[in-house]
Amino acid sequence: MSTATRESTRKGPGGKDYGYGNARVRGMRSRLLKPAFFEDLMHAKDIGAVIQTLMDTEYSSELEERLLQGRTANNVDEALRDNMVHTFNKVLSVINDEAYELVTTLLGRWDVFNIKTIVRGLHMHLAEEEITEGLVPVGQLSYIDLEELTRQGDIKALVDTLSTWDLPFGVPLREVLPQYLENEDLSLLELALDKYYSEWAAKELKGRGHNEQLSRRFLGIQVDTINLVTCLRLLNSDIGDQDPKRFYLPGGLRVTEQLFLDLAAKSDVDEVYDRLKKTPYGRTVEEVAVKYIESGSVAVFERALEDYLMRKAFAAGQGDPLGVGIVIGYLWAKANEVTNLRIVVKGVSVGMPVDRMREELIV
Amino acid sequence: MIKNKLAKVVFGSAFLTTMMVPAMALAEEAAEAGGAAPDWRAEVARYAAAGISMAVAAFSAGYAQAKIGSAGAGTLAERPEAGTNIIVLQALPEIIVLLGFVIAFMVGTA
Repeated sequence: MSTATRESTRKGPGGKDYGYGNARVRGMRSRLLKPAFFEDLMHAKDIGAVIQTLMDTEYSSELEERLLQGRTANNVDEALRDNMVHTFNKVLSVINDEAYELVTTLLGRWDVFNIKTIVRGLHMHLAEEEITEGLVPVGQLSYIDLEELTRQGDIKALVDTLSTWDLPFGVPLREVLPQYLENEDLSLLELALDKYYSEWAAKELKGRGHNEQLSRRFLGIQVDTINLVTCLRLLNSDIGDQDPKRFYLPGGLRVTEQLFLDLAAKSDVDEVYDRLKKTPYGRTVEEVAVKYIESGSVAVFERALEDYLMRKAFAAGQGDPLGVGIVIGYLWAKANEVTNLRIVVKGVSVGMPVDRMREELIV
Repeated sequence: MIKNKLAKVVFGSAFLTTMMVPAMALAEEAAEAGGAAPDWRAEVARYAAAGISMAVAAFSAGYAQAKIGSAGAGTLAERPEAGTNIIVLQALPEIIVLLGFVIAFMVGTA
């Protein structure tokens, strides 16, 4: 339902002409905030000063709207999210048909994120407003669609609605629904969604063209980083007699099922590093190994792999000027910028030291 | 890839245009060797060559301008201050037509 609606109302150029869309995206990219801006923002004395600085950027219109409800960090956060949604939708409306197909497939991870947010909310019996606060409608599902899903009241009705709309995400949920209803294990639904998405997206991006291959590679890196984080988490957790294979997501680039199982069987980070040495992720893991030993938190690796993914997205944006890489690079850079701004806004509002905030910023 | 297509069109048209000149020179020599009255076949070939060189140059410039135009429109939508540069870039392929015209003129009046 929603997918068809959004595609039929799209006004972007058709075919494979990347000239117009990429020129617009490059124009938008030139307005991304520079590192020096973040440095100044982190030194702002309070949230009022942060708002003042942000009012001179392209976030001003969303800020004006949200700040009518009060000049709080939460409202700034909402405004940043609104801007991200507007920007993503704008990009989707100016790119050509081929890029639209590829990018919406990659943005499917946001649809999964939103559906998981709703599923979690319904599982915890949260109020509608609380669930919708956490949604970021930048994929194929619009805010109205997601609101409608939130209104369903329980997970069974949500799955029925997704199936009625003929959305791909209804399939995995319907399959595991009986098991979920039996033991109320939320991870069943989340894992089913993640697995289905990575398989579905890998299938969708199976073309031979340069752009399909680039998108497929990027999806592969995303899936790899998720699998590696899962492996590193398994090092520190007791999963009992559960088969680690259950947590493996297909569709990765370098982390095969065999490698995943090997890594999951390791007992410490050194062994994991030895096994990963010959893959592109070896260096990333090695760089933060000392930090991990100091802090003992898997979040260190998670962060390093996220940085790696971002660097790959930026690299995609530096390649073919008439390819989809420009669009992918920009969208990920924009999402990264919004994440960084949210970190600074939260940091300044709670009086976090500048050094700590700098550490938290991605790339 | 689009870049390769563009390269093929540009090199193809340049090749065709270059080949027309010696072909015409040969046709002219043949006509002169044949006697005082020029051979009608040589005349037809000459004007056809002039037409082809003009047409190929015009199509090439049109293709280039279409690409530059769509990218320029995109840039203008986001950065109106780049307007002057876009107009200059949009006009650059006109040189191809100009060269095509000069070649056509030389061939036609030889």
